[in-house]
Amino acid sequence: MIYLYAITTHPLGDGHFCEGLADRPVFWLSYGRVSAVVSALASAVQPTEANVWRHEAVVEALMADCAVLPVRFGTVFLDKEELGAVLAAHDGDLVRDLERVRGRVELGLRVLWDVDDDPEPPNRDSPAGAANALPTGRDYMLARLKRERQRHECHQRAEALAARIHCPLAHLATDSRKQLLVTPRLLLTSAYLVPRGHMAAFEQELETLRAAYPQLGLLCTGPWPAYSFVTTAVTADP
Amino acid sequence: MSQTISRQKEVTLLDLLDRILTKGVILRGDITISVADVDLIYLGLKVMLTSIETAERMREVAAERYAPRSS
Repeated sequence: MIYLYAITTHPLGDGHFCEGLADRPVFWLSYGRVSAVVSALASAVQPTEANVWRHEAVVEALMADCAVLPVRFGTVFLDKEELGAVLAAHDGDLVRDLERVRGRVELGLRVLWDVDDDPEPPNRDSPAGAANALPTGRDYMLARLKRERQRHECHQRAEALAARIHCPLAHLATDSRKQLLVTPRLLLTSAYLVPRGHMAAFEQELETLRAAYPQLGLLCTGPWPAYSFVTTAVTADP
Repeated sequence: MSQTISRQKEVTLLDLLDRILTKGVILRGDITISVADVDLIYLGLKVMLTSIETAERMREVAAERYAPRSS
C-alpha cells in the first residue's frame, strides 16, 4: 500500500529525504500539477509517538525548501492509480492551498490563565445553624441567575483578554484560527499562518505580550507545517 | 530546568498530535487508525493537558521562551 505524507507542487531532487515510516524509503510521485510524497508500506501504521514524529519529520524536511501540504496521519492508498485518481479530482484545491501556504509556517499558541472566580458550587449545604426555612423556588432561581451572570461575565472577560493577545499576533499573520476556553484554564488555543520573514517580529510581539501580561502563561510551539490552514478536506465516506 | 524542558516537550507533543490527527489534508483513501485508537489518544491528550495545566505555575511559564521543537 502507498502511505501519503504530504503534497507539494514541485518535483523534488532525489536522495534528500530522511527515512520514512517502518524505515522505508520516501519518494515522490508526480500527478499533474502536484506531487505526492509517499512510502510503500507492507502494513498499516500504528499511531505511536515514534511513528507520529517520523511522519512529521518527513513533512518538515520537505518544508525546508518547498511549499507543502501536510496530510493527516494514517492516510494510505491501495496503489498509485488510486492515489493518482484522488489527487486529480482535487488538483485545483490542492494547488490553491499550496499557493496560500508557500513561504509560510504555522505557529501554535496556548494561553493559560488563572480562573480566580470559580463559580460557587451549585448546592452548598447551608451552615449548621440553619434555622431558616428550606430555600424557596425563588431563592433557587435567583442563585441560578447569579451563577449564570458570573459565568457570562467570566466568558466576556475571557473574550476580551484573549482578543488582546490574539489581535497583535494575528496582525503579523496572513491567517489565523482560534478557540476560546477549550478547558476552563485554557484561555486561548490558536494557530497563526506566518510568513517566514515575520517570524522574528512574531517572537518579539510574544515577548512584549509576556511582559504586558505576566499573569498569563503563553506557550508557543512551531514552526509547524500548515496543518491548521489546509482547506482540502474531502471527507472519506466509508 | 529539566522539568521545564520536559513540560515543554509535553506541550509540543500535544500540539503535534492535535495537528497530525485532526488537521491536515484529508483525502479519500483509507485512514488506518481506527476510531477507537483515536479516542484512546484523545483520552491520553486530555490527561496530558490536565497534567500540564496542573503543573504549570503561571509566572514560571511566563518567563519561558519560545518552546524549542527539536530536543
